[in-house]
Amino acid sequence: MSVIVCHACDLAHRLDGITPATRVRCVRCHAELYRTSAAGVDTAIALAVAGLVLFIIANLYPLVTFKVNGTTRMATLTGAALGLYDQGYATLAVLVIFTAVLVPLTQILSFLYVLVPVRLGFRAPGQETVFRALAALRPWGMTEVFVLGAIVALVKLSSEAEVAPRIALIAYGFLMLMLAAIASVTPTEQIWQWIGRGGRR
Amino acid sequence: MNAAVTGRSLGLLVCSRCRATLRAIGAVEQRCPRCHSPVHVRRPHSLATTASLVITAALLYIPANVLPVMRTHTFFSDEDDTIMSGVISLAHSGSWPVAVLVFFASIVVPLLKLIALGEILIAVTRKSVRQPQQRSRLFRIVEYVGRWSMLDVFAMSLLVTLVQVQSLATVQVRPAALAFAGVVVLTMLAAQSFDERLLWDGESRG
Repeated sequence: MSVIVCHACDLAHRLDGITPATRVRCVRCHAELYRTSAAGVDTAIALAVAGLVLFIIANLYPLVTFKVNGTTRMATLTGAALGLYDQGYATLAVLVIFTAVLVPLTQILSFLYVLVPVRLGFRAPGQETVFRALAALRPWGMTEVFVLGAIVALVKLSSEAEVAPRIALIAYGFLMLMLAAIASVTPTEQIWQWIGRGGRR
Repeated sequence: MNAAVTGRSLGLLVCSRCRATLRAIGAVEQRCPRCHSPVHVRRPHSLATTASLVITAALLYIPANVLPVMRTHTFFSDEDDTIMSGVISLAHSGSWPVAVLVFFASIVVPLLKLIALGEILIAVTRKSVRQPQQRSRLFRIVEYVGRWSMLDVFAMSLLVTLVQVQSLATVQVRPAALAFAGVVVLTMLAAQSFDERLLWDGESRG
């Protein structure tokens, strides 16, 4: 179709009137009409695999340790959510697990599920459903907010106890960067272009 | 001013999930051929959904800020902390940059979201045609910063897990923390259910 409609303000743009660019914005409301990426499917897959490895490290090891009066305590990612659950706040525990653990994991796995078949030249069954889930979950992934939250907790405790960030928090910090990198090389339009090309092969 | 040529005036739809442009066929429920999401000219009941979520969030904002969200139990005393008193004690312990960060994420951002969404809803209800540019910029800021309010919930999850030394001190969650998390989640849902195109419809008709 030679017309593209802005999703944010409904203004119609003629495609032949638009200078080709990697990023095109709506002339009226400046929303991004589409963006393509110079990186290939391989780059996106590599970033997702790296993200998966970091995710596993971030979940297996303690995030922070806390030492006071000879007692040492530590908290893992799921442990932090369980801490809320133990006090009877299951809703908050679910919210933390969802935004800091489940959404990032689902994002990485669904990227791999859609992109690896594209790379190999076939269509992943149900890729539309996976794509829709990916788009709907995007605002709920909160790795960067969790990293800052952990820093706030460390600062709060540092005046009264000996606290230190551990390997899992570092890994989680890198996971945050990896997810940002994946998002920047996989704009929506680019994913569909890859899928389109894979389908024809 | 010339009336803008919109998708609606051309009989075109745009998928809100994958942003594909497609021809409206006038069916009751049309789906995007690319990603199979339901596609609408304007999201159904967008105003009512957003308004009810904003009102609920505004009501929860009060207990979330007035009542304590955390209790520190030590050998000598029990100390209750509201969101604000947590910020103040952070500032006192010498880490004022972190205190400023928490102040913005936990107090300013939720309030800004409620006011901004309220203003936008009123403008759309009154069919105000002025300043859609400013309103859409405001809306996008609200959409972008919303998630940062979860900061305190994450910090709390680590505090209650780590500070459980019976002989010395324990930290407990208080019920207002639920109200606080409710404000964050409901305002995020409110922003997501709002159809931004409503801001521009007045101008398109003009």
